[in-house]
Amino acid sequence: MKIGIPKALMYYFYYPFWKTLFESLGFEVVTSDDTSKSILDIGVKEAVAEICVPMKVYTGHVLNLLDKSVDYIYIPRFVSLRKGIFMCPKFMGLPDMIKGLFDGIENKILTHNIVSKSTDISEFHNYTVFIDKLGVSRKDLKNALKKARDKWLEFRTLNKQGYDINELLTSDKPKKYEGDITIGLIGYVYNVYDRFVNMDLLNVFRKLNIKVVTFDMMEERIIQRQLKKFKKNMFWEFTNMLLGTAYEFMERDDIDGIIHITAFGCGPDSIVEPFLTIDSEKHKKPFMTLRIDEQTGESHVITRVEAFTDLIRIKKYKAEKTVEGVI
Amino acid sequence: MKITFPYMGSPYMYEKLFTLLGHEVITPPKPSQKTVDYGVKYSPEFACFPLKVILGTYLEALELGADTIVTSGGNGPCRAGYYGEAQKKILRNMGYDVEFIIFDEPKKDIKGFMDNVMKIKGKSSWAQVIRTVKIVYDMAKSMDKIEKIVETKRAYECNKGEFTKAWHEITEEYRRIESSEDVKKVERKAIERLNSIKICEVPEKEKIRIGIVGEIYVVMEPSINGNIEEVLNAYGAEVERSHYISEWIDFNLIPLPSYKEKEHKILKKGEKYIEIIIGGHAKQSVGAIIDFMERGFDGVIHLKPFGCLPELVSQSVIDKIMREYDYPILSLSIDEQMAIANVLTRIEAFLDVIKLKKHRKKIAR
Ligand code: SF4
Ligand code: SF4
Repeated sequence: MKIGIPKALMYYFYYPFWKTLFESLGFEVVTSDDTSKSILDIGVKEAVAEICVPMKVYTGHVLNLLDKSVDYIYIPRFVSLRKGIFMCPKFMGLPDMIKGLFDGIENKILTHNIVSKSTDISEFHNYTVFIDKLGVSRKDLKNALKKARDKWLEFRTLNKQGYDINELLTSDKPKKYEGDITIGLIGYVYNVYDRFVNMDLLNVFRKLNIKVVTFDMMEERIIQRQLKKFKKNMFWEFTNMLLGTAYEFMERDDIDGIIHITAFGCGPDSIVEPFLTIDSEKHKKPFMTLRIDEQTGESHVITRVEAFTDLIRIKKYKAEKTVEGVI
Repeated sequence: MKITFPYMGSPYMYEKLFTLLGHEVITPPKPSQKTVDYGVKYSPEFACFPLKVILGTYLEALELGADTIVTSGGNGPCRAGYYGEAQKKILRNMGYDVEFIIFDEPKKDIKGFMDNVMKIKGKSSWAQVIRTVKIVYDMAKSMDKIEKIVETKRAYECNKGEFTKAWHEITEEYRRIESSEDVKKVERKAIERLNSIKICEVPEKEKIRIGIVGEIYVVMEPSINGNIEEVLNAYGAEVERSHYISEWIDFNLIPLPSYKEKEHKILKKGEKYIEIIIGGHAKQSVGAIIDFMERGFDGVIHLKPFGCLPELVSQSVIDKIMREYDYPILSLSIDEQMAIANVLTRIEAFLDVIKLKKHRKKIAR
């Protein structure tokens, strides 16, 4: 049996988990192709016009998988990754949305709810639908989940050591990249790591000799510590993680500036925005929002990043010179 | 403490609540172009439209001297749950020293909730508080009952504008009540008043009934949705909404199962299309569409703020419902750029489709 996994949204955070899980259960895993113009165009055409680009991209990937004659497309419903905290409503309604968009796709969708205590989504109770639907035994499922968990934790450990997710997903010998200045990049995995959608942003940084730190590279406990500052957490877990990371970046001296990469029309980010703009200014940390949508051009991204980081460099070296002068 | 609050539907219930508890109240003005301009100017560009308008409302109320904002934190999981916090951040940053009393779900933070209750209780006795809450609840129920009559009968008034005029006057009467008995009196008078308005009846077969569903703020606040109910009535269509404040109270604030039946029934009907509650009122919206359809309404208008997260999921399944049942549904996005003329044309076209459908049915019979 072939299980298709769309290369979009949570793919970038959970692919090692999913791949191991399904393969250990004896299934073949097929991913959709890398995001391309044609995948995006299909998504734009089929999805609701007002919806954010990541959801359009996802829609495109689902159709791309249909062409690969898979038996199932795996579309889990992420409900909660921490008690009392949810996910962006679009994640919570993702299978409904896909079913709503395409007639007759129901039987092709493999879905279940994920209600978890943490980002470790390996709890058995979430997967019991597999037993009937995929005809696997409880025991095999438990074993597969354990293997998947180990694999995922391995991946996350490396990720938190500073390897970016694309390196980890695409290369056997992942590399870390350094630079003479460091940017804290705030953004969901699907905006940071989808090279087509963000005009290969990480590479832009690399060419400019800039080191990048992202939320997925942060230890959860650091993020949680920052979040304690807020009387009330936001309703969406990944948004909370971005918020906590951003406050950590504001306080850290080794971060020279913060860029918030966000999709046009992203609801949760619009609520985060006033907190980031107001408080990064208070912390005197250079801050910029980079908005991406289906029409974003490469030159736009490069120009903005260059302008922003040039300023940071000038400031940094000036400051260093004065320090040297004093000495 | 000069209290103000968001403006959604009639503000008189909140005004009554706080006044009867002995507070000084700054009732916010009805949202206008100025409100929208203020809100848009100071909110994040991609914030949802209700957040912007409510921020604009606060700014206007602050100009009028308010210093305390009372609002609900919403039971999420959607942006509205964080409106208060975000707006506080923005207003403080603008230099306003304003206090926010944000009511969150008591189960999450019972202490915070009780602290807030004590602030609102002020010097009143508990007996007074209970009496006040009862009066305001009766008032909400009663006003909704009268408004439902208006939304139905206004479609058939012989002289345009009579019902709207009467409704405005009636709400002013409600504004003056002091007790639950007063509520009953005003209600009786209101019904008499409405009954005296001349009606040009239409044969039952030709009556058009439209349901309005969607995100609660844009459904409930006529100044933001282009007075859609009045517009539909003027075209000769009866209207019913999926949200009424008294029903919201029943479902969210009264801890008795019998008060929640209606909402549960609606949610159940949405389940086939949206399995779980995903935030906002998406599942209710879809359930309400099915409900209106089953009750023989001729079509539904779905209102959502532009970019509204959960309602975009509803919209994705609405197309499917339209296909499946061949049922007319019009989805409208509302924001500061909405052009009324354009909306009117779309509504008109929508009603034409419905009339044509009805006509065909008649012939087929
Ligand atoms: S968090 Fe933002 S970008 Fe992600 S799905 Fe939700 S609205 Fe879209
Ligand atoms: S339901 Fe829509 S309007 Fe309400 S908070 Fe959520 S996104 Fe905003």
